[in-house]
This record gives sequence, structure tokens and C-alpha cells, in this order.
Amino acid sequence: MNAIVSAFLLLSAPGLPLLLAFPALHTRLPWPVHMALLPAAALVFIPVDLAIELPWFWQSAGLGIDAVSRWWLAMSVVVWGVGAAFLPVPTKRDACNPQTSLLLLFLVGQIGAVLATDMTVFFGFTTLMGYSCIGLLLAHGDETTRRAGRIYLVLLILADILLFEAMIMAAATTEHLDFATLAKAMTLSSSSSFYLSIVIVGIALKVGLWPLHLWLSLAYGSVRPAMALLLWLGPVATGLLGGLRWLPLGELAAPMAGAVLLAIGAATILYAIRSVLWVQWKQRLVCVVFIATGSFIMGLGTGLLEPALWNQYGDSAHLFVTTVGWGLALMTAGLEWSKAGGEASGPRKENRIELAVERWSDAFIRWGRRTGNETLPGLRASWFVRWGGLRQKRGWQNAFDAGEYFLQRWPIAVTLFLLLVIVTVVLLLLDAM
Amino acid sequence: MNWNTALPLLIVASSLLPGLMIFCLPENRVVTRTTLNLAGALLKIVLVGGMFWGILHGYHFETRLVLLPGLDLVLRSGPLSMLFVTLSAGLWLITTVYAVGYLEGSPYRSRFFGFFSLCVTATTGVALAGNLITFLLFYELLTLCTYPLIVHRGTEEARKAGKSYLAYTIAGGALLLLSTVWLYTLAGTLEFTERGFLSGLDASLHPTLMIIFAMLIAGLGVKAALIPLHGWLPQAMVAPAPVSALLHAVAVVKAGAFGIVRVVYYVYGIEFSNSLGLTLPLAMLAAATIIYGSLRALFQDELKRRLAFSTVSQVSYIVLGIALASPIATLGGLIHLVHQGVQKITLFLCAGNLAETLGIHKISEMNGVGRRMPWTMAAFTIGAFGMIGAPPLAGFFSKWYLGLGALDAGQGWVIYILAASSVLNAAYFLPILYTAWFKTPPDSWPAERSFGRKETAWTLLVPPLVTALLTLALGLLASAPFNLLEWARLIVSRGFAQ
Repeated sequence: MNAIVSAFLLLSAPGLPLLLAFPALHTRLPWPVHMALLPAAALVFIPVDLAIELPWFWQSAGLGIDAVSRWWLAMSVVVWGVGAAFLPVPTKRDACNPQTSLLLLFLVGQIGAVLATDMTVFFGFTTLMGYSCIGLLLAHGDETTRRAGRIYLVLLILADILLFEAMIMAAATTEHLDFATLAKAMTLSSSSSFYLSIVIVGIALKVGLWPLHLWLSLAYGSVRPAMALLLWLGPVATGLLGGLRWLPLGELAAPMAGAVLLAIGAATILYAIRSVLWVQWKQRLVCVVFIATGSFIMGLGTGLLEPALWNQYGDSAHLFVTTVGWGLALMTAGLEWSKAGGEASGPRKENRIELAVERWSDAFIRWGRRTGNETLPGLRASWFVRWGGLRQKRGWQNAFDAGEYFLQRWPIAVTLFLLLVIVTVVLLLLDAM
Repeated sequence: MNWNTALPLLIVASSLLPGLMIFCLPENRVVTRTTLNLAGALLKIVLVGGMFWGILHGYHFETRLVLLPGLDLVLRSGPLSMLFVTLSAGLWLITTVYAVGYLEGSPYRSRFFGFFSLCVTATTGVALAGNLITFLLFYELLTLCTYPLIVHRGTEEARKAGKSYLAYTIAGGALLLLSTVWLYTLAGTLEFTERGFLSGLDASLHPTLMIIFAMLIAGLGVKAALIPLHGWLPQAMVAPAPVSALLHAVAVVKAGAFGIVRVVYYVYGIEFSNSLGLTLPLAMLAAATIIYGSLRALFQDELKRRLAFSTVSQVSYIVLGIALASPIATLGGLIHLVHQGVQKITLFLCAGNLAETLGIHKISEMNGVGRRMPWTMAAFTIGAFGMIGAPPLAGFFSKWYLGLGALDAGQGWVIYILAASSVLNAAYFLPILYTAWFKTPPDSWPAERSFGRKETAWTLLVPPLVTALLTLALGLLASAPFNLLEWARLIVSRGFAQ
């Protein structure tokens, strides 16, 4: 493909949303986020690999799309399309409201990170994405969401510093920071284990892995599902992409780092399974996210433990995340539609049934009185019988509730116990190896 | 006198002559004064551009006037001089445009702009000085010209700040003079030379040279605001915003930091300084200043005071880069000389806009100000993120090369200092952004001035927007042709033996 067309397409994918982030532009457009997605959507459907260098920024800096990043971009486009469809569309009166600008900057960062072919460009775009995400959380009126934003801010600053140090270490090893060179260079570096540790901690902080997940639980619990979906795509999924890009997977065997990642991944999954029993059905989406993240992290851990295995099956990691993304987008769309349908048609279904029962029973009692048959005492007697049965059922429910309440009072103890189990298992595994 | 010998003098005169003429103007000659100011600033940029062109084509520019037998006043072009003179010339134009708008309707404008121009003359002289005595003369002229600007408002607080400034800087100047004279008696020359002129001296003089080095650093450290000599800088915040911008970004603190670069590279030579064991203590002092300045900034509610402590911290990055004695770290220090200037001027001009337009001086008064002044706060946000070191802004590259240089020099501890400083930078800048963008604005501002549909006057709004764009451009175009990094690499390559 013509170099100018490639450059135009690759630069416009993050460039158009950046331009539309100006309130004067996006308030005059219908569906600004969808409009901003158009170049990225076009890139998904162009069946050739494209790449451009950005030598005016950094010697190895570049943007590009290959088979792997096409999957991520396709997933991003779908998730953004679904997520933005259920968020309020800005009007001219919203010019002072920073929410849409922040959303578009978030989009710039996320799409740019997917297209980045080197560490500096990836780092730059994810930083923009992170701070925009914090802005979105802070701009949300709810105090819980703001708290989530504040916690994420602290984690993000620490993560960025660690990843910055990792970049400096990589630059001290190799002049070119493009991902292809990086993985090979880090295998030869004497400081590869330190590099791996800071990258793992940095990614864990960015992604919100257990036990650093607090902000994610808070945010998912308080924002609407569409925004929760975007919060998954941004910090979590793009953070995982960072793990894929920055870790020398398939090149370097690092048993200790691999085991740590396996342990963290397993802990995240166990935590999610533990939580799924306690949370409301709406928050089970969060558990799905944690399980998917944990599985992916375990995949990365396996890649560091067994490079050969990664070389054979590593590509499935991209398919896995893409599938999760599309699945979550579908679930979110369903949730939002059911919510919108419920709000549009007056009382909920259960309420409508209750009202009908009341109306019909009331009519029945009045008809009995008119015909001289007092139906009320008989009805009352039958209700008492039912109530007794219900009370018995209620007793069992109370017993279960009390048990759960007891467990909920000891989350740290339970979590630590799980951690202890995981560490023991890992140590036993290492010992066996 | 030909073009090669006249150009350095013309560059100095391009601000000196308008300055002297402005002193003679009556207060009501606004147009003439503004024309002189802008003409001087533009002429300086053209002349500096001409010198750049000449250097790229192999010309050498030097003006030499005899002061005393054996002591010449020397103005000379060189890579390091050009770095500083370009910065000061560019930012002077921006600050002048801003000052014209800022001081509209205020009294004593002729006095203000006269000293303003003399201040830039002194800075240009400091940048182009070819020996230590010329440097000292312009350095002291800078002290004297800045004092009237600090006390310009004439309030009790301003006079107190001015007195403190004079006490610090004159003491520092005296130390500098003493060490210069002592050095002259030992070496017999004061000419700035690549890789220094002292390495050939007898080994028995090395302890004396170490003492002189400490005296020079102490003298220059006053203006560079190294702890514990930084006390004047936060007090000088009472000055008008353009003066603060001048103090922090263009002239005074930069002159101190630039002086340290001159002493380490062109008087002692980086390798000789390193062999005497002088660089490590200097690096440690700079590191302590970085952390101390950031910690103090964290607890300031007054916006300009927070920015002042931020300067204390940020200017020491330059000193740290130089003191690490590694080519890459020096590169980081030198580019930070420019980056810090551009970013800090943005922040001060924005602070001035808030004070002039809404009467806001404190961070606690900034609730929701981003909605009232979005362009000003957008510029402030870019400046603040640049200071934190977020990519792709200019500050990121300074920290990048400093970190890489620290590893190159085998001084891993500096990485922790940079990390801690970044955390602290974020801790004192992000709450300002949060307050401005996400808190609910009050019903009324402390002292609001109306500018119609505009958020403020054009002369106040355009300069910070230009410097914010420069912050962005210096990062995004870091490796473009004729970039700052290449220029800094040239300076470094001449300072280190290959």
C-alpha cells in the first residue's frame, strides 16, 4: 500500500479522536466517538500489514498494524462502538462538560497503544489513556467512583514510574526500543530478572490485578455497564497487551517470574470465584473480568516458564482476549437494553404482576361481599398457612445469610488463606520441577 | 570591526539600547514603549538566528574589548552559549508580549520595561561570556537589574523580598568574585576553554582548587537556588507574574545553573572535576535539593509559592545532570535547561492570568476555574504534565536522559531520586488540576475582571498557549531535524574526551 495512505490511516486512527476531543468540534457532531472510530475501523478491514516510523519523535518509534494487533484493534472497535452507544451524546450545551473530551482522549490513548510498535509510543499513549480514565472517574458525580479514581491515580503514578525505569533499563541494553528487538535484547541482558520484576509489578498496578484490584471493584460497582466495559478495555485489556509486548515471551525462560505470574493469576481467579457467590448478579460481570484477567496472566506466566510452549500456543492469547472483549460487549449491550427497556415501559415486570394480583383479589373480595359471602376470613386463614411455610423457608435463608455474613467479615483472612494455599502449591510445583 | 566581531556585541545591544531609551520615555507613551520593546525582542531573535546560521556554516563570532591589562571583556559564540542565548531571546519576546498586557494601566511602566530590558541584556551577556570575568560582570549586572523588578509593586512585602534577594545574591556575588580573583592568581587566565584550563596545574594546588570549586558553587548556587541558599526565591514571588517568569525561566535561576555548567565544563573540565572527586558531592547536593524543593512545594497553598519551590527542585535536575559526569546525563541536564524554562514560563504565565483575570492567588480558590478559563488551564495542564515528565512532553526526555545517564555513570541511586521526585511532582501538581477541572466553581471569583466573551485579554492568553505548544513540540519533535538533542550532543561531545 502507498506509504502516504499508510501514514494517513495509521496517524488518523489516534489523530481524529484527538482532534475531536476539542469541545468546539465534538459538540457539533452526532455520535462523536463513533465518528472518531472510523479510521480505526477502516484499519481493521484493510488486509495488509502497515507500519510507519516516527523518527521525528524517537529513533525507533512507530505505529503499525499486523495480524496480532488487528485482533486487538477489532476488539477495541467493537467494544468502543458498543460502549459509546449507551453513553449520553453531548450537545452544544455540554461544551463545558469535560466528559466527552476525556472519553475521546481515552480513545486516543487506547487505540494508539494498540498500534504502537515500540515502548516509548506505547508508554506515551497508555499514560494519556490512564489519566483520561482517571478524569472520567473523577468527573463522575458519585463519591464511590471518585474514590476509585483517586486510588487508581496513585496506582497509575507508581506503575508509570516502574515502567519508565524498565524502559531506561531496556534502553541501557539496546538502542532500539521496538518490541521485536526488545524481546531478543532482554534475553541477553544481565539485568533481565530485575527488568522482568519491575515490568510485572508495573503491569499488575496498571491492570488492577489482585490484590491491587480495589479501584476496579469500586468503579465497576458504581458506573453504568457501558462505562464499566470501557474501563475494562482501557486499563485492563490494554495493560494486558502491555504485558504481551514488554515481556520477552517465547525468548527468555524465567521460572521465578513465570511462577509469580501463575500465582497472581490463580489468586485473581480464586478471588473472583470466591466473590461470585457473594455479589449481586449485576456485579458478577466484574467477576467474569477478574477470571479472564487471571487466566490471561496465568498464560503469560506459562510463557515465561516454558518459552517453547508460548511459541506454539502464544497466538491463542490474542484470540482469548478478543473473545472475552466481544463477549463482554455483548453482555453489556444486553444489560443496557434490558435496563433501557425496563425504564421505558413503566413498572418492572414483577411489579406489574403484583399490581394485577392485588387488583384481581380486591375485585374478588368485593364481589363476595356483594353476594353475601364474606371471603376475607377464609383468605386470611390460607395466608397464615402460607406465611408459616414462608417463615420456615426464611429461617433457612437466615442461616445461609448469617454464614455468608460471617465469611464477609473475614475477607482478609480468607484471602490470605487462599494466598497461602497458592504459594504452597507453587513452591511444591517448583520443588517437583 | 567586522561582522564576526560585531555580532555578539549587537546581540547584547539589541536589548540594552531599547532599555535605555525606554527609561527616557514619559509614562503615557504606550505605543512607542511597546514598539521599542517588541522591536528589540524581535531584533535579538533575528541576530541570534544569524549567529546560528553563521555557526552552522563554520563562522566564529567573538568580541574582545580590553578591560584591564591581561583582562578582556570577551563575548563569544559557542554551542553552549547558543543554547542559553536562544532560550533567553525566544522567551524574552513571549514575556514582553505578556508583560505589555499584564501591566496595562499600571504605574511606572517605563521603569519596569527599562529594567526588564536590562535584565535580558545581562542574561545575554552571561550566555555569551567568553571568560569568567565577563561572566561575573554580567552576572552582577543581572542582580542589580532584577532588584527593581522584584520591588516594583512597592509594598512592604515586596521591599522585604527585595532586601532578602539582595542579601543573598550580593553575598553569592562576593564569593564568586573572591574565587575568580583567587583562580586568576593561580592560573593566570580566566578564559573559558573546552575541557577546562586548570588540569595542567601542579598537583600541590589541587586542595586549593577544591576549595575554590566549593566557593564558586556556593556563589552560583545562590541564583541556582541550591539548598540551603534558596531562601530568596519563594520570597521573590511577590513580584508581578512576568518578573516571576523571568526569574524562574529566562534569567536568574538559569544564570546560576548555567554558571555551574560553565565552571564544571569550561573552567575545571568535567574529567578534571571528576578526578578531584568534586562531582559526586555536587550531585548529592542537587539530589537533596530536588527532594527538598518538591517536599516544600507539596504543602503550599499559594500557587506562585508552590511553583517557586517547584523551581528549586527542577533547576537542580540541570545541576544533577552535569554533576553525574556522564555524557548522557549531561545531555539530560542541558536539554532540561531549555525544557524547564519553557514549561515553567507556561505555569507562571497561567498563574498570572488567574491572578489578573479572577483575582485567584491560592490553590484553594481555584475550584472549577477550568470551566471559566479553559484555555489558560489547558496550557497549565500541559506545563504541569511536562514537569511531571509525562510522555510525549518535553520533561519526559529530560528525565529519560538523566535516568539513562545515571545508569551510564554507575550511579543507580539517582534512579530512586528521579522516581521519588516524579511521585512528588505528581503529588503537588495533580491536586491543582483536580481542583481546577473537577470541583464545582463558586458563584463568584475573588476579583473578576470582564473581558467580554473572551476568558481574558489576548496578550495574556496567547503567550502561555505558545509556550504550552512549545512544550508539546519539544517532546513530539524531539528527534526532528535541527533538534535540541543534537545541539546538546554537540556540546557534550566537545566537553568529553572521545
